[in-house]
Amino acid sequence: MKVRVDPEVCQGHTLCAMNAPDLFALRDEDGHAYAVDEEVPAGKEDLARDAARTCPEQAIVLS
Amino acid sequence: MSNDDPRDKPTISLDRHSPRYRLEFESLATEFHARCPVAWNDTHGGYWFANGNKELFDLARRADLLSNENDVDGTGRGYQGISIPSQSDQANRTRGGFLEMDPPDQRYYRQALNPYLSPAAVERWKPVIDELTRACLDEKIETGRIDFVDDLANIVPAVFTLAMLGMPLKDWDVYCEPVHAAVYTPPGTPDHARVIQLQMRMGMHMMEVMQGIRERPRPGLINELVTLKLGDRTPDDTEIAGVIMLIIGGGFDTTTALTAHSLEWLSEHPGERERLSRERDTLLDSATEEFLRFYTPAQGDGRTITQDCEVNGTEFREGERLWLSWAMANRDAKVFEDPHTIHLDRKGNRHSSFGLGIHRCIGSNVARAVFKSMLTAVLDRMPDFVCDPDGAVHYDTTGVINGMKHLPATFTPGKRLGAGLDETLERMQRICDEQRLAEPVTVRKARAKLRD
Ligand code: SF4
Repeated sequence: MKVRVDPEVCQGHTLCAMNAPDLFALRDEDGHAYAVDEEVPAGKEDLARDAARTCPEQAIVLS
Repeated sequence: MSNDDPRDKPTISLDRHSPRYRLEFESLATEFHARCPVAWNDTHGGYWFANGNKELFDLARRADLLSNENDVDGTGRGYQGISIPSQSDQANRTRGGFLEMDPPDQRYYRQALNPYLSPAAVERWKPVIDELTRACLDEKIETGRIDFVDDLANIVPAVFTLAMLGMPLKDWDVYCEPVHAAVYTPPGTPDHARVIQLQMRMGMHMMEVMQGIRERPRPGLINELVTLKLGDRTPDDTEIAGVIMLIIGGGFDTTTALTAHSLEWLSEHPGERERLSRERDTLLDSATEEFLRFYTPAQGDGRTITQDCEVNGTEFREGERLWLSWAMANRDAKVFEDPHTIHLDRKGNRHSSFGLGIHRCIGSNVARAVFKSMLTAVLDRMPDFVCDPDGAVHYDTTGVINGMKHLPATFTPGKRLGAGLDETLERMQRICDEQRLAEPVTVRKARAKLRD
């Protein structure tokens, strides 16, 4: 599973990193998110799905 | 619906400033979600009322169709900003900072202020926030009585907001009362004249501080604003004052409202309070988001439609007003199971209490940090607090801010841990100045150090 944050859509709500700190990090300057690793580590797929569901802007793209 | 309007408009008649909005909120939300998730509300001159979660989500993020512009000087399209009804004194109306602007200006402001307010930026301040909370509680801990609004939740957000602005901390009370009272003291009420006086004093103080920082720069949001370039334009003092007021208004009343409501609920649910205290490592984050969802301190925001368009089957016309009801969208059963109940461990809680889209609350990380500091300190130091329902005073109208004026409580007295508020403010001021804490995170990365 691959994960990415659409920078055009993310508004820095930070809920992804709150729910899945291993998968998402927030930029110091504006708190907008990026995926720590494009490849979701094995066993973390559900966590990635949860985070995507929780994002208020629906900015997280799984593929 | 008028005869010359051929559109199919499900119509409601809901005055958001009436007791009905506050008292029947849950049944109204449930009814609207089923019948008219986007309704034409024929009060206050008529406006669209988006309340369904999906409908609100699909509208709020359409910066291409919506404007926040408040055209105070007649140089724009004549739009009325984010208040519905519009400000009553049209001749003297003021712009609410960049929340009443559109891109690109709105974006310049946010890009400039983000490095002061990002999660990493706020994290640096945590020792200061905790110390302010400690001092407020110490003022009351030996007495066994506290008013959670007056003695805690009004003070910590106010002092901390001034710290980030680069204002003198000791002047917090110049701002505190007029900002809170303005929300619940409408024109025509007996107290209104006094509140106007306090507001004028506050305005003058703000202009003086701004001038002082222009002459002798000191770090903070105000310094950023007085040196800011918006493309090829420099904002004047009135515009900057509007931005400072936006930051103050956003920073004060909302966090107070959230904290008071949460403490009131925890007092009524002692079992849940104990559980939250015990399991805070896993529950504090989700409980915070759940309180935000349920109480939605800022209930909604107005917009103006910028072009004739159709979204999800509703036909909008240019110039029409739209209210985005974050509060009702937060109670939509299609997204939130058992929406009218607080579940501290709620999963997938994508509430819209900080708004959605490009105007998303820029202070959300501040709000969360300050709220968590106050909440956990109360759980630790006043674990058996009981709020007095007869003394609790909710805002009469919650159409804009779902707030509280007072929330008295009793608890088993405890021991002071340190100095009182005034002495603590002096010490925090020294620390702010010496460590230049109000610099943006791009300039200063280190956390505040309270002791050497
Ligand atoms: S939750 Fe969504 S909007 Fe918020 S930081 Fe994460 S990706 Fe961005």
